[in-house]
Amino acid sequence: LHIPDGYLSPETCAAGVAAMVPAWAVAGRRVRRTVKTASAPLLAIAAAYSFLVMLLNVPVPDGTTAHAVGAVLIAVVLGPWAAVIAVSTALAIQALLFGDGGVLAYGVNCFNMALVMPAVGYFLVYKPLTRRVGLTSPKRALAAGLGGYAGISAAALCCGLELGLQPDLFHGAHGQPLYAPYHVSQAVPAMLLAHLTVAGAVEFALTLGVIAYLQRANLPVLRINHAGVATNDDRRPEGVPWRFAVAPIVLVAFATPLGLVDNAGAFGETNVRSGAVAFLRKNHLSAIPWGMNRYAGFWHHALFNGYDFRHDAHPAVGYVISAVVGAAAISVAVLAVLAAARVVQRRGRRPTVGASP
Amino acid sequence: VTDAAPALAPDWLRRGEVGLCPCGCVGRRRKGNFVDKTLAGAARVMSDVMVGEHTARGPGLLQRLDARVKVLTFFGVLVAASFVHHATVLAGVYALTLAAAALSRLPLGRFVKRVWLFIPVFTGIVVLPATFNIVTHGHVVVPLGHWWFGRRIGLTREGLDAAALIVTRVAVSASIVVLLALTTSWPRLLAALRGVLVPRMFVQIIGMAYRYILHLLTTIEDMYAARKSRMAGGGGSARAGQSVVAASAGALLGKAHALSEEVHLAMVSRGDRGEARTLATVRATKADWLWAVGCALTVAATIGVDRVLGH
Repeated sequence: LHIPDGYLSPETCAAGVAAMVPAWAVAGRRVRRTVKTASAPLLAIAAAYSFLVMLLNVPVPDGTTAHAVGAVLIAVVLGPWAAVIAVSTALAIQALLFGDGGVLAYGVNCFNMALVMPAVGYFLVYKPLTRRVGLTSPKRALAAGLGGYAGISAAALCCGLELGLQPDLFHGAHGQPLYAPYHVSQAVPAMLLAHLTVAGAVEFALTLGVIAYLQRANLPVLRINHAGVATNDDRRPEGVPWRFAVAPIVLVAFATPLGLVDNAGAFGETNVRSGAVAFLRKNHLSAIPWGMNRYAGFWHHALFNGYDFRHDAHPAVGYVISAVVGAAAISVAVLAVLAAARVVQRRGRRPTVGASP
Repeated sequence: VTDAAPALAPDWLRRGEVGLCPCGCVGRRRKGNFVDKTLAGAARVMSDVMVGEHTARGPGLLQRLDARVKVLTFFGVLVAASFVHHATVLAGVYALTLAAAALSRLPLGRFVKRVWLFIPVFTGIVVLPATFNIVTHGHVVVPLGHWWFGRRIGLTREGLDAAALIVTRVAVSASIVVLLALTTSWPRLLAALRGVLVPRMFVQIIGMAYRYILHLLTTIEDMYAARKSRMAGGGGSARAGQSVVAASAGALLGKAHALSEEVHLAMVSRGDRGEARTLATVRATKADWLWAVGCALTVAATIGVDRVLGH
């Protein structure tokens, strides 16, 4: 993930720094506001830790080892803004002292690993998954691991895009690339393949493992960024609220008129039929299996044949009405099944209540 | 100087491995024990630091210059190199960095090895497929038959040009950074960064982080050496190894946090209010100005020659 100097055009490097300056400013202010004078030692420790995490080799099942970045881990333990500064600092030390990652490419490397990675892993994955989860719950460790996986994948995607844009944006008079030579279609899959498999798995294992260890052995450290979180899970009834289940169905129901855009009926299946015939003709095939041919018109006496009244002047109206009637019929059927299930459940419970005294 | 360096950092400590990517996240998947490899990585960090501190104290051209001047001029050359479109020009700049290394009395063989071993060699491997006409279209200069689904395959002039350009540019950039790292002691480098308008807060954090790294590195080495001394025979399953790494990373986090609390209390008790203060910086000398002018001329010549060569 560390892009060395020479792979990126100076324009791209400048864009990377321009993107990071506001992020650094916001992160610095946020961190100072939360931890006040303790910010310098805490951030320095976090940076040193980030550097050292990249040094720890994690065994991979095939007998080799790889190492993690740890940005999401730091975001979970010390907060996402501390992670921005910590990883940036670690990258600065690596670039200046050890030649790992470029000096000009520093802004871009920071953007990938210090901004995108903790932001995606923490705000898009870890936070939403742990809204009502207790501090010691295994779900929290799993969410952190998934955040690590998503974070490093997002960073790899950004890295692939940045490298892949170089030959298209910056090339010589004869089209020869001046910087990284691979196009987006080659760079992105190469980066993602490596990171969705090995590096992603390592990041997942390390983030999950460290959070699980802290849950077992060092809860105070985990409390730094989780001040108001209860230790145990909220004892709310298990299961998903019913509106979460119904919302996607309603969404799909309102999306059904999309079929009209194609002017071909619901989800364009009438097109499919004519398309199939056209396909056969194009390949000089005229044979439709006789069974298909015979039973094709079997259901033509249905109420809304072809999601339409028969030979209606307004196919769109017919289509919408048939959709409403169909949705209502299915809803009634589902509710009937649920009601029947509830009746059966109540019947089954009654004898046990009576038997207990 | 060249003879004294091994005494500080013995060869077994400096043994590196050619990896696919120096950061290790893509390549460097040599079979081996994770404990050994972590210890080797820690040793590499320590030895790099020791060698850098040692050579930065030696007599030489670059060691005598003001760190601020070095930072600014090297940055200028770095930017100029990134604008150059001809591999030959970059080769010339690379020769200049070699000359600067020689004048600074750095061990040349080691300097070249440290620059080339990781990044440019890796780059060469990575851009190799890009020299084929499948990736970079153009005039085929080295035909290699018709084995790719019956298509004509060969190396294109455009592809070779691009590969040479990127490899030389990567080598020049790496040389400049290594040159700076080897001839500037860390405190001076930090002072220079502050001098060139990097925010104080950031410089303070880098400086503290650097010391913490060295401190925590010994913690890691202790933990892993203890682990190694308890492991008779193989390292066990990958899963067990992963839990060991996770536990040691977690323990390290706990120790690091405890340390930061202590350092924070120590800082507050000494009157720290969250502002970074530094001692006055040194003034630039005549040598610094000469060097700066020389670098400016080099940059101008580089860009000029590159433009004259044209497209």
